[in-house]
Amino acid sequence: MKYFVPLLITAATVVLIAIAWVNSGGMERERMRSSRTSEEAVRLLLTQAQARNWDRAHALLANASDVEKSAFVADLAGSNGSLLTFANLENFDLWPLHKTDREASMRVKLHYSTAVGPLEDVRDLKVQHEGETWRVVWPTTTVARVAPQVIPVNYLRWDIINRGAEDDWGVQNVDSPQVRILSMNALQRPDRIVIVGEVVNEDTVPAYVNVGATLLRPDGSTFAQESSFDKISHTLLPKQVSPYRIDFPEARMNQVKSVRMDVKSLLVAASADPVIEVSDQRLQTDALGKNLLLGQLLNQSGQVVNIPHVVAAYYDDSGKVIWVSDGYVDQALLPQIPVPFAVDLPDDVAPKVHNYHVNVNYFNVNRS
Amino acid sequence: METTFFRRPIPLAAILLLAVVVHGPLLLMELPLNTSYDANLHVFFASHYAHHWFDPWNEKWFAGFSQTTYPPLAHYWIAIFSYVVGLRMAYMLVQMIAILLLVAGVYRFARLFVSERAASYAALFTVFLGTVAFLVYSAGQLSTLLSASIYLLALPYFYQWSRTAHWRGLVKGVVLILVAASVHHVTLLFGSFLFALPVLWLALADRGERSVFAVLGRAVFFAVLAGIGVGVVLLPYWIAILKHPIEQMPIPHASRSNFLLNINYAINYFFIPYGAMIVAFPAILWLGSANRRLRPLLLGFWVAFLFGLGGTTPIPKWVFGRAFEILTYERFTLSAAVLALPLVGLFAEYLLDRYRSAAVAGLAVCCVLTMGLALGWLAWSPFKTLSSLNVDQVTDFLNRDGHDKYRYLTLGFGNALPKVSTYTTANSVDGEYNSARLLPEMTRYGAAQLTSAKYFGTAGMESLRAMLKHANNYGLKFIFVHEPYYEPMVAFAGWRKVETYDYGSVTVWSKDDVSPARPIQSDAMPAPWEGLLWGTLPLGSSILAILLALLFPDRARVRETVVEFPAPTEEIYAREAR
Repeated sequence: MKYFVPLLITAATVVLIAIAWVNSGGMERERMRSSRTSEEAVRLLLTQAQARNWDRAHALLANASDVEKSAFVADLAGSNGSLLTFANLENFDLWPLHKTDREASMRVKLHYSTAVGPLEDVRDLKVQHEGETWRVVWPTTTVARVAPQVIPVNYLRWDIINRGAEDDWGVQNVDSPQVRILSMNALQRPDRIVIVGEVVNEDTVPAYVNVGATLLRPDGSTFAQESSFDKISHTLLPKQVSPYRIDFPEARMNQVKSVRMDVKSLLVAASADPVIEVSDQRLQTDALGKNLLLGQLLNQSGQVVNIPHVVAAYYDDSGKVIWVSDGYVDQALLPQIPVPFAVDLPDDVAPKVHNYHVNVNYFNVNRS
Repeated sequence: METTFFRRPIPLAAILLLAVVVHGPLLLMELPLNTSYDANLHVFFASHYAHHWFDPWNEKWFAGFSQTTYPPLAHYWIAIFSYVVGLRMAYMLVQMIAILLLVAGVYRFARLFVSERAASYAALFTVFLGTVAFLVYSAGQLSTLLSASIYLLALPYFYQWSRTAHWRGLVKGVVLILVAASVHHVTLLFGSFLFALPVLWLALADRGERSVFAVLGRAVFFAVLAGIGVGVVLLPYWIAILKHPIEQMPIPHASRSNFLLNINYAINYFFIPYGAMIVAFPAILWLGSANRRLRPLLLGFWVAFLFGLGGTTPIPKWVFGRAFEILTYERFTLSAAVLALPLVGLFAEYLLDRYRSAAVAGLAVCCVLTMGLALGWLAWSPFKTLSSLNVDQVTDFLNRDGHDKYRYLTLGFGNALPKVSTYTTANSVDGEYNSARLLPEMTRYGAAQLTSAKYFGTAGMESLRAMLKHANNYGLKFIFVHEPYYEPMVAFAGWRKVETYDYGSVTVWSKDDVSPARPIQSDAMPAPWEGLLWGTLPLGSSILAILLALLFPDRARVRETVVEFPAPTEEIYAREAR
């Protein structure tokens, strides 16, 4: 017994630890440390990127000498305060597209958790067989650069003189700017009621706008209350129009008698700069059959725009807003360099779209 | 009569004094409030009781939650002391008492199994135990430590009653169990299996001429009486838990991980809590298996050890099933260490007999290294707490100009949130106590506090997004941001930056169209009679325990029941020690 019990306890502990090690992915982790197959090579690279072990990840590339480390890091983790710099690579899926003895092509879906919600990025990667191992060939991208130049700023800007340093924000002795809901359209979607429309700032000063909606039951009581949240441009310059969308998950039209709209506005300091040009807009179906509105954003100012946000309104042939969709762009807008964007559109709405209008919001790290 | 210092037990009073000398200065520096995860949470709970003794409904978190979801005794004592020395020092005082009771508890528990000398060494090592330093200064688990201490003090009475049917053992034991449960029910629940079974085994082994069934019968009677008592004393807790069982999505916790896959977790949950005791593991195994009376202790240690390893073995998952994802496992390390201490005391006895001064030096170095490592880890650990964040300007903002008419949210404040909540009159939709969350914006996602949303990835950010979407419903107007990571979401959602503190490290954001907060109706609100019970019975049980200890001292009686060790029939496992 003197020897048996210690040996039994030790052996049982070792066995239990081994079982848990296998169950919790220890074997898989060991496999991920090798790159004996094309899949393992991509996994290894992305695992290192996930751990932000950039030196190791860069060294794993087949074309490490052709790809600058900073460009590689910027590609996966963002740069210039872009959305990807506010993101973590949570996990990824990969599947082979084709494979030979010498090279293979893999498609990876990167799942990021970002500061504004989840973000997915699909990429096709080429993998090469070199000796005993496989290595990923990272696409070399030339970073667009603009020649040094002076960009004059002559856009309008509105400042506000407050009553004093102790004054509470929002406590103003001036009338709120005149804003008006231009249109409102309630739609029944499979899993929700959606209210879309447009709001305009009719005043001669900038306004900070929030649109809310309350669904009322037949007896007049409140059924649900929601707001446009991030599906709107909150800051509206004089005469500027913004689309908005308000979602009521799990609500059905037959539960509701009417909708009460509520728009709140506040005088704020604002500037027409930076101006972001939207060009090359087109509706297109991608390889997976998804309807998208594609286009390019061009920052015409001299400042970097860190996180652009696209809000698009779609109109039918009578000019009625029939849908509003939005999307965050994961690259920062550097001055004068075009950046592509894409926002999706439901299949049943796409055929009815006659026209569309794109608004661009932005967040700047040092100016919010 | 043994006259050599090396062969005499260390007086318990001297060990308690040493505990005061070692931990006193650290507590006077209020270290737990600046370095630990949960200390501020306990202060927050206590602060509520200090202001609303008989009303456990606390509006300050989750738009209202019931504090009957957490046993209150430690918090009530902090509240009592706070009237004299303030909340912060009151916490330190209760923490010091917990450490002293643990030392005394380990001594009395060890005394059941080993000689007075070995028990005194066990108590001495408790002062320097890595897991104690970890729980006090890093985890801030006051309740776990205090409850375990009181439970250990109850066990000798359980032994006494089961073995000799002495009524004083029954009364004192049951009352102490009620006190332990009033401090922390979970510790008591697991302690019942890990600690009580070895003691029951011992009572059976030491029964002499008495019948096995009589001993077992008395043990069952004790358990039933204690069970009924706990049921009554914590009645509002049971009502709350039955009304709202924990059905929220599991929240990740590092103690459930496989430590082999993450070296930092291994250091945090294994090397730091056990410290130099790891070197003694072979001796624990050897001594524990060499003597029949010590085998239950060894078995208890092994089971607790396996639980303490979290996901490093499959045992906790097999045993707890779905509850595996709700529990945290660092508390089992304390159980394992305490169960091992009598054996470690025995081992120290052997070393001192054999190596004298060298053993003293070696053991002293081990003690200092173990505690030093645990304290050093507070600085070296990658798991930094934000308890020391200066929140004065935040509380000033909330307490002025009627800002407390609205609810607020902190982002990136980590465990400094309870500090804000303690000292402001405003209410928040967030909170640091996961079990009390009932708002769907929080329970539907596998994330804990909104203030730390980013650490829970997509689940955390989606939970935050859901809450911000319903800001108008909750009267959520002000957001304090300590990490710029959260600024994009807050800005795109319609909040605007209004103030900046601490050279930009904290920014205040406000949303204009939010109406003042209104009370959120909840069926979790306890009835007035529950508040009355909550404010009297747990504290009453502790006062009764103190009175029993003062009016019926039992020092001499305990000595009478001590069983000689090693038992004469057993073989000698360490000849030199005789």
